Amino acid sequence: MSMRRLWGKLLLYGVVAAISLWVLVPLVLIGLASFTPREEIYRWPKPFLPSRFSTETMSFFLGAHGVLPSTLNSIWVALLTIGFTLAIGAPAGYALARFVFRGREAFRLGILITKMFPIPLLAIPLIVTFIKWGIYDTLLGVAFIHTAMALPFAVLITTSIFVGVPRDLEESAMTLGCSRLGAFLRVVLPLALPGLAAAAMFTFVVSWNEVFAAAILTLSNRTLPAQILTSLEVSPVYFKFAGGFFMILPALIFMFFMRRYLLQMWGVAAER
Amino acid sequence: MKSVKILGLVLLLAVVGVLFAFSGPQKIVFYSTQLRPIEEAEWVRGTLLPPFTEETGIAVEFVPDEYSPWADRLIAEYKAWKETGKCGVDLAGGLHGDFMGVLETPEKELRFIDLSDKLAELSADRTFIESFVELGKMGGIQAHIPWMQATYLLVINKRALGYLPEGADIWRLTYGDLLEWAKNIYEATGEKKFGIPVGPKSLLHRFVHGYLYPSFTRSTVKKFKSPEAIKLWEYAKELWQYVHPEAAKWDAMAEPLLEKAVWIAWDHTARVKKAIESFPKDFIAVPSPAGPLGRGFISVLAGLGIPKAACDPDSAGKLIEYLTRPDVQVTTLEGVGFFPVVEEAAAVVPVGPMRVLADGVTAQAAAYDAIVAMIPGGLGARAGEFSKIYRDTFTEIVIKGRPIEEVLEEQGKLLAELYRDTGAPCPLPDDPTEAPCIPEGF
Amino acid sequence: MNPLRRLLGTDTLLPYWLLLPSVAYLVVFFVLPLSQAFLLAFRTDDGQLTLKFFERMVNDAKFKDALKYTFLLTVIVVPIQLATALVIALLVNTGFRGSRLFLYLCAIPLGISDLAAGLVWYSIFTGRGYLNSVLYSLGIIDKPFHFLSYENIPWMFGAIVAAEHWRATAIVLVILIAGLQMISKDYLEAAEVLGAGRLKKLWYVVLPLLKPSLQAALIIRTIFAFEVFAVVIALAGDLIPVLASESYWWYALYRNLHVAAAYGVLLMALSITVTWGYLRFLRTREEVRGLA
Repeated sequence: MSMRRLWGKLLLYGVVAAISLWVLVPLVLIGLASFTPREEIYRWPKPFLPSRFSTETMSFFLGAHGVLPSTLNSIWVALLTIGFTLAIGAPAGYALARFVFRGREAFRLGILITKMFPIPLLAIPLIVTFIKWGIYDTLLGVAFIHTAMALPFAVLITTSIFVGVPRDLEESAMTLGCSRLGAFLRVVLPLALPGLAAAAMFTFVVSWNEVFAAAILTLSNRTLPAQILTSLEVSPVYFKFAGGFFMILPALIFMFFMRRYLLQMWGVAAER
Repeated sequence: MKSVKILGLVLLLAVVGVLFAFSGPQKIVFYSTQLRPIEEAEWVRGTLLPPFTEETGIAVEFVPDEYSPWADRLIAEYKAWKETGKCGVDLAGGLHGDFMGVLETPEKELRFIDLSDKLAELSADRTFIESFVELGKMGGIQAHIPWMQATYLLVINKRALGYLPEGADIWRLTYGDLLEWAKNIYEATGEKKFGIPVGPKSLLHRFVHGYLYPSFTRSTVKKFKSPEAIKLWEYAKELWQYVHPEAAKWDAMAEPLLEKAVWIAWDHTARVKKAIESFPKDFIAVPSPAGPLGRGFISVLAGLGIPKAACDPDSAGKLIEYLTRPDVQVTTLEGVGFFPVVEEAAAVVPVGPMRVLADGVTAQAAAYDAIVAMIPGGLGARAGEFSKIYRDTFTEIVIKGRPIEEVLEEQGKLLAELYRDTGAPCPLPDDPTEAPCIPEGF
Repeated sequence: MNPLRRLLGTDTLLPYWLLLPSVAYLVVFFVLPLSQAFLLAFRTDDGQLTLKFFERMVNDAKFKDALKYTFLLTVIVVPIQLATALVIALLVNTGFRGSRLFLYLCAIPLGISDLAAGLVWYSIFTGRGYLNSVLYSLGIIDKPFHFLSYENIPWMFGAIVAAEHWRATAIVLVILIAGLQMISKDYLEAAEVLGAGRLKKLWYVVLPLLKPSLQAALIIRTIFAFEVFAVVIALAGDLIPVLASESYWWYALYRNLHVAAAYGVLLMALSITVTWGYLRFLRTREEVRGLA
């Protein structure tokens, strides 16, 4: 190997290593901080590795007022969001994938335009609307707005998922006597399932992470991010560390499972 | 003869049956703007009220709510009661300012029952703090009976005592003493150990409008922009130099006191409770400092009133009696950090963290140079903007260093506009009969 | 065929039925709030049209700062992120051993909420946090430096920049990667045949073909940057106001929905302006678009 190529390779791997550390180190740090025993959290200078690993910080956080209920709330909202989003968005994705029809581009454009709506613009007026409808300060209300936020992505993602299922398979099923719905359920859905599962996980993460709308639209039925945000300035340091780590955890787990679809989903969804 | 006896027996049974039905478990609704945080509400339902139900057989539904919906509901229920006779909540609990907002209809009718008789009845075996009883007299009646009080004061870690300036008395500090004290600590240790809560949801605005302003100007709104106010802000800028650098991240002082990040802190009694409970021997609570014109402090008074539309005013009256018993007042103190309004209760507070705080609260209320300030009432939904004005004034002048006159002019305009829009009266120590309360010079 | 079947079953109408739920939902949850927001921002409770809420917003002591910090953050973070993401994307595209793993690693922040990211970097920058400990052990400081204090607002801002950069680069990254993968290998091969070296290939083939993706990434990232909220609150409380956080405080603390809505309308106007600006000044040429 020539000197030049060797240097090139070293540079490449050097940069890769540096960037990898940049991504990983903060995650590792907050993980360490959450498993440091409470007395050591206030210690200064802070050692990188705590003298002993302890789950007491995390258990204090989990036992703190409002944390467990709001976690359950977050999960419930996320599940509702997934349900609504897929129920409403998957058919649209199927339509865009399989049919060519007038208004197709207009719909696509509409989806793009929704990206320009800032969350404060959506959430604040919904307070008034939700009060009128009687769903202010309910998990259902939060799920509604999360669905609205996730729907554009869901439509685009499911479109590309269904595009990935060969049309011929469906058509063969129909020639063999299946109705369109039957072909969909028997042929397309099973093949699309992994992609749909990834879309579901993605929606979960979006809903789990959402802060602004959840904080605005709830008072006593808070989701986890809303709960943490509203208690930031009265919470002790260990609460912040443990809270941060706990919030990242599901995301990390899900990201691992949906890594193959990541590019497809975000890249396609964001670009088009 | 026999038929008469049978008839009599049947009638007797009927009467007994009716009496029985009427004396079944009753329920009243206690609707309050206080004790809203979930922990406090749960404590009310689980600890405070059950003994009352056991004793009287009356069940109480405790419903906490924010001021706006609370006021809306009381107003709506009075209207419905007048028009159709439909009754509503039995007992209303709220701050003095809350009652001010809902007492009178536009036609000058009063929505609450006159509790003078009840008060007289209760005064037979307990002594309410006189100034609080006076406050409850509005619209010519006793609109509310005192329930509990809260205030803001200084909490000191005993470590700081070694740096106290010569001749200063911690039970009678002045703002000048405070400044020197914080400075002494800084010069000796290199650290800023004095803290006030400056976070977004802190009670900083109370410090400014209820403590600094009354102490330096004997006013909250009228003298917003005055020569005395300018002295106030010059002082605040000096004091700020010795305030802990992370104060802007704190909404409450309990954690910083616990972490020993600060040794001297100013905050609401409920927001420092946790620290004192954890280490009662390490802390003392003392009255807030005095300025050139006196020792300004806010008395947060919560009262109990019975709406005319109440379904069961008698049971509501029984609940008032229960809540104002000295031992129940002490239970309240221990449960949620709100202080008694009944003098006999002070004697019953056990030695410990609550005693620490109670001593401070009493000393402050009894100070010879006390200037009582009140949280402004009558601003309704726009009370938040009042707080914002005082907060922003502090941030702009003290943290960002903008010229004092300029900021006072700018924020004073907003204050005047707020009062013109709402027509609200002046809060003590300004003259409460003046409405709208327009700051001088605007 | 019965009429219902005909209505639902034909290929012409079926797509519209399938789209209906989505369209209806988006209309209700986007168009309705939009009009309601305008009503809130421009109309008093008694129904009078007024500009006074906008006046209150603009006359607020914190308004200028909110604008300043929002813009500053956007202007600083977006270019840095673009550059970082481009570097990562190009690296991954070389297909070196482990590039897949590297890509997944860099995409992890996608799943991290801005609040969590704020807390992660809080643990680093706080008085008794990791950064101070490192600096101390290197002998650079002898007592904690309060990065997150009102005394050091520029440092506080820097912490926010670091946190945002760390968190949101992944968003730009995946857009660029998708764009890169779509560049047909034929063009690269053709360039190689014509004797272009690596750098020339990059400059004359890859970057121009990547322009649509760059444009999309810029638009999305800039719009999100205007909405930055929880990261700022986690690290700076309300010492560094930004537009979205002021909107939040006006509702949550000061209870004035009207002014909060005014901020929302302002944010929308900014997003639209910026999108229009990008589309106009980063116009991709027809040929390039046709090729890609």
